[in-house]
Amino acid sequence: MFDELSLHILDVAMNSLAAQARVVQITVLESRKRDWLIVRIRDDGRGMEESELRRVLERGRSGKEGRKRPIGLGLALLRQTSEMCGGHFHVRSAPGQGTTVTASMRWSHVDRPPLGDLKTTMLALCISNPTVDVRLTYRSDGQRMCFSSQELIRKSESAREPQDGARLPSSSDFLASKNSRARPESRPALGRILGGEAVE
Amino acid sequence: MNLEELKKLKEKARQQVALREGEKKYRVVVSMGTSGIAAGARDVMKTLLNEIEKRGVEGVEVRVTGEIGLEDVEPVVRVEEAGGEKTTYAHLDAEKARRIVAEHLDKGRKVDDLAVGKEKKGE
Repeated sequence: MFDELSLHILDVAMNSLAAQARVVQITVLESRKRDWLIVRIRDDGRGMEESELRRVLERGRSGKEGRKRPIGLGLALLRQTSEMCGGHFHVRSAPGQGTTVTASMRWSHVDRPPLGDLKTTMLALCISNPTVDVRLTYRSDGQRMCFSSQELIRKSESAREPQDGARLPSSSDFLASKNSRARPESRPALGRILGGEAVE
Repeated sequence: MNLEELKKLKEKARQQVALREGEKKYRVVVSMGTSGIAAGARDVMKTLLNEIEKRGVEGVEVRVTGEIGLEDVEPVVRVEEAGGEKTTYAHLDAEKARRIVAEHLDKGRKVDDLAVGKEKKGE
């Protein structure tokens, strides 16, 4: 078990890099008001078959037989943290479609690890593979920050409370992952992100 | 995470990019798989970067990789010299990382008591 959420983020995002992602989007949303903290790691890597995904999530241990891809333990750890803290954990993945990992937890839950040193986590990811665009979007009740390793800082605003809460995806949007396809305006498909904003 | 930290991150990331373009004498690879992270590899990496900067050591590139198959002796760092020689250091912490920077990367002397076996690959 990691004692910082940023270590979980590093771990899961390293999986993305191992899966040959070109863009890794990390999103952290925290709201004391709504009592949620949500972490999402989305990549355009090679993705997983359903059977592999199930194995990785249920077995919850790194497979020696798949030594080239020691994926598994990291996701299981994040799942454990998330569920222990009154949240939900969801992975969506398909071959060629990339992988999206979403973990939520109660902000006020006594066991919720602190976010920790997100800066060093980002730095580690940036120097892991300099050709990959590692992006971070962080939102809290009064702050919104974006970082992209390819563009360094695209935009940063502070202490700005959005007037229309509707424009900010609420935590329930991220929790109800099954419905997310119905909200293309707030959650663009990976293909659109790659086509629209990616390097090249 | 706040704006100040984000600015620092931007600066650090930029430095690392600049480093990549210059001439390199050493490449330092930090193993950052699940086991490495659990054992403290991220702090080791941070210490390496800070110490290299503090001492003004030049020609060193720090990179991060996934599991390298030495899970039982993490955190593990591999120092690769331009000539091709590789040294693997295991069971590291911040203090040991500082020694590697001071002795190996700065003065070119291997830290024998921290190094492990010869080119043990995987397993």
